[in-house]
Amino acid sequence: MTMSVVLSQEKKPLIRFDLKKCAYCKICELSCSHRHYKKFGDALSRITIIRKGPTMLKCFICTRCDKRFCIGACPTKALSYKGGNIEVDPSLCNSCGDCVEACPFHGIKLHPETKLPIICDLCGGDPSCIKECPKGALSLIWLPESRKGY
Amino acid sequence: MKYSGYKGKILRVNLTTRKFSTVEVTDEFARKYLGGNGFAARHLFDLVDPKIDAFDASNVVAMMTGPFQGINIPTAGKYYMATKSPLTNGYFDSVSGGHIGAQIKYAGYDGILITGKADRPSYIFIDDGKVEIRLAEKFWGRLTGETQELVKEEIGDPNLCVSAIGPAGENLVRYACVITEYRAAGRGGVGAVLGSKKVKAIAVRGSGTNEVSDPEAFDAWMKWYKEEAKKVPALATGLPTYGTPALVASIGKMLGAMGSYNHKTEFFENWENISGERLKKEFWDKDTACPACPIACSKVFSAKSGKWKGAISEGPEYETIYSLGSMCGIDDLGAIIKGDSLCDEWGMDTVSYGVTIAFMMEAYEKGLITKENTGGLEFNFGNDDVMVSHIEKTAKREGIGNLIAEGSLRIARTVGGGSERFAIQVKGLEIPGHSARALRGMALGYSTATRGGSHHDPRPTGEYAGVSDRKAVEGKASWVIGTQQMTTIGDSLVQCHFLERLLGFTLTQKYVDMINPVTGFGYTFQELVDVAERILDLERAFNVRTGIRRKDDTLPRRFLEEPIPEGPSQGMYTDEPTLNRMLDEFYALKGWDPGTGIPTRQKLVRIGLEDVADRLEQGL
Repeated sequence: MTMSVVLSQEKKPLIRFDLKKCAYCKICELSCSHRHYKKFGDALSRITIIRKGPTMLKCFICTRCDKRFCIGACPTKALSYKGGNIEVDPSLCNSCGDCVEACPFHGIKLHPETKLPIICDLCGGDPSCIKECPKGALSLIWLPESRKGY
Repeated sequence: MKYSGYKGKILRVNLTTRKFSTVEVTDEFARKYLGGNGFAARHLFDLVDPKIDAFDASNVVAMMTGPFQGINIPTAGKYYMATKSPLTNGYFDSVSGGHIGAQIKYAGYDGILITGKADRPSYIFIDDGKVEIRLAEKFWGRLTGETQELVKEEIGDPNLCVSAIGPAGENLVRYACVITEYRAAGRGGVGAVLGSKKVKAIAVRGSGTNEVSDPEAFDAWMKWYKEEAKKVPALATGLPTYGTPALVASIGKMLGAMGSYNHKTEFFENWENISGERLKKEFWDKDTACPACPIACSKVFSAKSGKWKGAISEGPEYETIYSLGSMCGIDDLGAIIKGDSLCDEWGMDTVSYGVTIAFMMEAYEKGLITKENTGGLEFNFGNDDVMVSHIEKTAKREGIGNLIAEGSLRIARTVGGGSERFAIQVKGLEIPGHSARALRGMALGYSTATRGGSHHDPRPTGEYAGVSDRKAVEGKASWVIGTQQMTTIGDSLVQCHFLERLLGFTLTQKYVDMINPVTGFGYTFQELVDVAERILDLERAFNVRTGIRRKDDTLPRRFLEEPIPEGPSQGMYTDEPTLNRMLDEFYALKGWDPGTGIPTRQKLVRIGLEDVADRLEQGL
């Protein structure tokens, strides 16, 4: 279901969010759901933008953090880190939602119908949210595998 | 359903009985009425006794979507509200940006019809198929921003979409609005009708989706849009850079057609102080957008210095710079930003409030309102303290605020002295910042619009662009009918009219080409024109049953008798004989009776509204 990205071993990807540029149009959410499911709906989006006040916006998406809280929290070992992405093994997942709760970045949702975790997979290396953002508020950067604070 | 973009049902909420039900949206109904405006016009015509007071429990508030909500088509991140207006007493609709439109779709509905009256302050929470009427006593009296946050907290979802009314709606200010995020379903008092029903807020979330009928054709249209929009300066640079305040220079300075000092003139000498360029340079914080809109014409502005330092608002839009600014003789953008944010927070329409204050200022100047009425305050033009401080007083109906809350026409009828002449309204609705004197089409357009003084029934843009000669009388009726058809289709798709510069100021084949890939209707151009006429005539029929006739299709006396006194449009106005000539032509083209302004049976039958013709004949 998820696509892996060929990565150099020392670097890992991060979708960077520019608060100043984001206009809260949520085109990223729609393009994400459309890219993965050919349907439009924010419940199917792996990226979420929330507005808190006139100029404060927050972006929630998998950060590929070092601690991989989701993997540790999964009671059935359905999650693994491969090629820069968290992958879900549907045959092992019991849809308990522990990974959703464990992610401090609110980067995981359960699919409303299949109840399987949906997590950013970088669209195979060319993220749709970045391509479609009319304000250039999202960008893909590469960080060292080990980062303090993530 | 056979067609895409629809969920096939509308939710009905009865607040008195606390019962919910659904009304089916059939393929035939969707094709005949398209969405938003069309769905609401049909249901309100069927459900609302037009003779009731707008605050009667049996009035209905419609909150609607069209086929475009929840997909990524540009400028459709909106929702549509309609009711019988407490300001005009007629059919009234107001469209606003906000993510709640998409959420209604995702929750599985094409719209909501709210009737009855709750016994205690309440809010409606729609969570996919689950609907609740929850107590809102602890939110009653709160501002719109706080209310949205409190509802999100109570439900425990920071991403929840909430539309709320402010104290102005609770206290039945006749032009109280509904606020979603920072945008307003501003005009006509939909917020007051919700207030009369004791509905403080509507919260919606849905986990569903919306899809298009023909993905390939839709993708091709999206590609076409992206290429073509780059070639339209307003969409490519003007609106993204400055937003609507860019119009201050083009309308205010170049055309001299921006009402000032309650339309005693239309050339504001200090236009530069309130210009879009100045706003951008000195007040801009960030761009914001309605959902799914790449234009992002909305801006957050704040006052960084001066008397109103610290004032912050998403906006003001051009209309608010006109109403709170030039109309009141105020050239301090800080005060306008402050007023804009207070109107949003207390929950009232900036246009009607500002134009009403301007009316009060002229009445004060003429001695019709005195310090005795104003509590000792000097109510003079240019007084920004008065403009700002009376927002709260109006929302609370405190002191003279109780009068201001009634709108300019009702105040004129109270204070008398011939002041109705300079009450800048049509059918009770205050006129926005597009001149009925400098634009011939707006003279006829405002006169005949369902809502009265609204620039989203007829559109001024084509006359600004010179596509229709703003001075011409010949052919103006057909032009105005075309713009009204275009806005009605836009309001049914629940899509912003800013695409008019790309798709056409009047209905064109380009609208058909946008609609068909999404819905699968396979409309012809004539079919779409008929949809527009059907909706417009339903609205007119609603208003006819409230007593509206040809005599009501007119303008304030000031506009019919006093030419613009100065500036680039000096001398322009439309006198009564000219207006009548245009009206004759308008009614003839519409198929409305020339004496009464009532749609004829022949016309109604032609567009598939025989039952409406029957109702009109029975109910007059």
